[in-house]
Amino acid sequence: MLSMLIGLPILSAVIIGLLSDKITAAQIRQIALVIVSFLGLWTIWLFSQFNPAASGMQFAEFIPWLPIVGLDYSLGVDGLSLPLLGLNALLIWIAVYSTDYSGERPRLYYSLILLTSAGMAGAFIAQNLLLFFLFYELLLIPLYLLIAIWGSSEKQGYASMKFLIYTAVSGILIFVAFLSIALLSSSGSFAYNPQATQGLSQTTQLILLTVVLIGFGIKIPLIPLHTWLPDAYVAASPPIAILLGGVLAKLGTYGLVRFGLGLFPETWTIVAPGLAIIGAITAIYGALAAIAQKDIKRMVAYSSIGHMGYILLGAAAATPLSLLGVVLQMVSHGIILAFLFHLIGVIEAKVGTRDLDVLNGLMNPIRGLPLMSSLLVIGGMASAGIPGLVGFVSEFLILQGSFAAFPIPTLVCITCSGLTAVYFVTLLNRTCFGKLDNATAYYPKVQWPERTPALILAALTLFLGIQPTWLTRWTEPTTDVMATTISDVHKATHISTSSR
Amino acid sequence: MVTTETKAKLPPSTHPFAEIIHRLEAGGAMLPDTPENLMQIIGLYKAYAVPMDFYWRDLLYIAEREFLNPLPFFKYFLPKEYLDLHNHYAGDDADLRIWRGEATAHPELLAYMQHGETFKMPRLFHHLWHDRVNMEFAEMCMRAMLWHRGMGGQFDPYLDSEEYKANADRAIKAYFKGNPLMLGIHQMFPDLFLEQCRQMSYYSNLGLFWEVMAPVFFEMSDLYDEGKISSVPEAMDFLVNGIFAIAGRPIYHHVYIRGECYEIIPKSKGFMWLYEAALPYVEAVFYRTAPFRGTKSYNAQAHQVPAEQKDFHYGILYADVFPVGTAGIPPTLLMQDMIHFLPPYLVEYYQKHCRGESDMLIQLGVSFQRSMFCVTSAVIQALRQALLYPLDDPNPRHLAANRAFFEQQMDRFLRPEARLRDIQRQEYR
Repeated sequence: MLSMLIGLPILSAVIIGLLSDKITAAQIRQIALVIVSFLGLWTIWLFSQFNPAASGMQFAEFIPWLPIVGLDYSLGVDGLSLPLLGLNALLIWIAVYSTDYSGERPRLYYSLILLTSAGMAGAFIAQNLLLFFLFYELLLIPLYLLIAIWGSSEKQGYASMKFLIYTAVSGILIFVAFLSIALLSSSGSFAYNPQATQGLSQTTQLILLTVVLIGFGIKIPLIPLHTWLPDAYVAASPPIAILLGGVLAKLGTYGLVRFGLGLFPETWTIVAPGLAIIGAITAIYGALAAIAQKDIKRMVAYSSIGHMGYILLGAAAATPLSLLGVVLQMVSHGIILAFLFHLIGVIEAKVGTRDLDVLNGLMNPIRGLPLMSSLLVIGGMASAGIPGLVGFVSEFLILQGSFAAFPIPTLVCITCSGLTAVYFVTLLNRTCFGKLDNATAYYPKVQWPERTPALILAALTLFLGIQPTWLTRWTEPTTDVMATTISDVHKATHISTSSR
Repeated sequence: MVTTETKAKLPPSTHPFAEIIHRLEAGGAMLPDTPENLMQIIGLYKAYAVPMDFYWRDLLYIAEREFLNPLPFFKYFLPKEYLDLHNHYAGDDADLRIWRGEATAHPELLAYMQHGETFKMPRLFHHLWHDRVNMEFAEMCMRAMLWHRGMGGQFDPYLDSEEYKANADRAIKAYFKGNPLMLGIHQMFPDLFLEQCRQMSYYSNLGLFWEVMAPVFFEMSDLYDEGKISSVPEAMDFLVNGIFAIAGRPIYHHVYIRGECYEIIPKSKGFMWLYEAALPYVEAVFYRTAPFRGTKSYNAQAHQVPAEQKDFHYGILYADVFPVGTAGIPPTLLMQDMIHFLPPYLVEYYQKHCRGESDMLIQLGVSFQRSMFCVTSAVIQALRQALLYPLDDPNPRHLAANRAFFEQQMDRFLRPEARLRDIQRQEYR
């Protein structure tokens, strides 16, 4: 069942790449749209078959691949990965749907997007460290090419190369950590096995966890490993920025929780205070940097960094509530960021600028972009954590769950939530309100293919904000077990320290 | 020929709008002479003339019949008598037949009054649903004239004369006869109803002004359809000739109370249409009007409200046609009225540009601006003709005086918000 999410897009990517030149870009888009729609339906079907009450892996698939190196084709999905699979399916569909029909080199473009989809899905469901690494690396080249070739900025070459270097370093670090785990642990295999790492000395665990944290910290990214992100997000075309911010960054946070917290629970409790501080610093840096921006896309990119700080704080606290919030934040942030990047893409396409000093009066009902502006207000509110929208639920759970463990970093993050409102009010006030300049306002009409993704994401933002249990029900058992593990380890450590 | 002579005798103007000044000296308009401009302005004249046919009738009805009604809920419910009122410049019995059509209300107006944008229903429902002609626009124009006052002519000073006060007092007392409350209020606050009466005089003034303009615009539209107007200067010349033909039309204010006519401003005062209605109207509505009225005026925030009313420049010649934060008389009201009566060729034209159907209101607002620049050009040329010299005058000093006059007129468009620069470009839509 899970293999479909990997096999179909890879196969389709190959077939699309081999299609005749006579097939137009619009037709190729239609083919890709059918495939990603099918993948979306398949993911919905997975949700319907998933048992939310169970905390373990479901739909497990296992095929020995290269036993000699410990590589197995081992897949499975739990409450941590299922919502991210859903997010991946949704954002891939939106990326394909919102791509301009007249794009250049359509075969390569859609093939790369499908490979990205396969890489993301594979990484989320891989239950073998080496298999995860393969999918993690599989993402590198397609995304590099998607930024370098179809980027929307003059600096796309620079940005894509920076992305490539940072992500490659991240991959190397993760590979080193995984290889060390396989070599040093009792199992001698790459199979995902939390028990296997328990036999390692605390120093070894600490070193390996640090390497894992840096590796995934680049991908998330965390301060000070973040400098690739604003350039890459700004240089990427809107559909690719949606994938980068919406899903790829979540691969970092997913890896942090799955492999950092999951494989090294004991050591995690040692580094947690430091992680909480880094989380708070990331949140405040992201917010302050966003306030200073004049480019609205860059502003949203920095806001994304800030929101990653909350995830790190929640993961560091590792309470049932904060971990639940972490998973929710991954999904809600993915939805909101995709929503904002899509809207900014439409605004840039129509107005021709992202400059905060130039944009004005887009709420104008006749010559402005009133629907896009209204949706931008919703997106901004969601990102600022306004109650009733999906961003509020996840942030509230993280902050509520983390306060007891790390009160000061939590208070800093609460302050950052206020700062989020500052830059979004600035963005909305300058972009949407005020007077439209009638000397320049000859913007084309927003078409339905541009409206539809925004409306879908707005509906999700509102619906999941009002009914968050539709998100939490899949995840809660899994995060409860993870939090219990951490708690047990913490207690055991505490008892052993006391008995000495 | 005129162009050659003028150019031969005067050096080129150094004014920032030199090109436009040379065009005016050659007998042209401020608006460039292109078929597209001509189509837009004529189409707009037609679309404007239909609601204008309602405006002038209702303005006169309010001035003559509603008068000081303290609860004028039904002032926009034009009685049949006023719909059938014969325009003095159309129909077989016209004093001077400008339009070859009927003297009574225009058929398109009557059809719209019945059906509106919705469907046929009692007039009260159309009114409550705001599915009707926006008389508020006409009233705002009237109020702009009343508020600015002192824009030249004899009409306005007359409103402060003892003679006017006596006439008004007689009409006020007659109107409130048998109503001790209102008469008591009049006794206590004599300026209260007098000021209302002045406002009513301006209702009458504007009604009489537009009674002329509606048939002028209808006739121009018909001539264009027949191929008899083929350029912007020809359209402007028609307006100039119309202005001179009508210039002497009396401006007055009569009130009918219980079957008796009270002449508050009698025709015998000799107030003329050109000087007492047309010129103050152009000054008040085209140039001045008022800053954006809102709880927080954008103009006030931007320190754009001048201390002197004469320095106000918020009229249609300066207006930003976007409905958000717009100064001046809200053009949306008129645009909403005109959109129902656009000729098919103009609808087709708008559909091809910008956002087509979706922003037709804005596009026709810009066309309206163009058409009013043409009217203003006619007024400038008429003034030049009345006060100065012919364009082909052989005397260079006379041509220099004409040049100075044109430059003085163009100075008012040097303001950055003036749309004169914009209308020179066809892409301004």
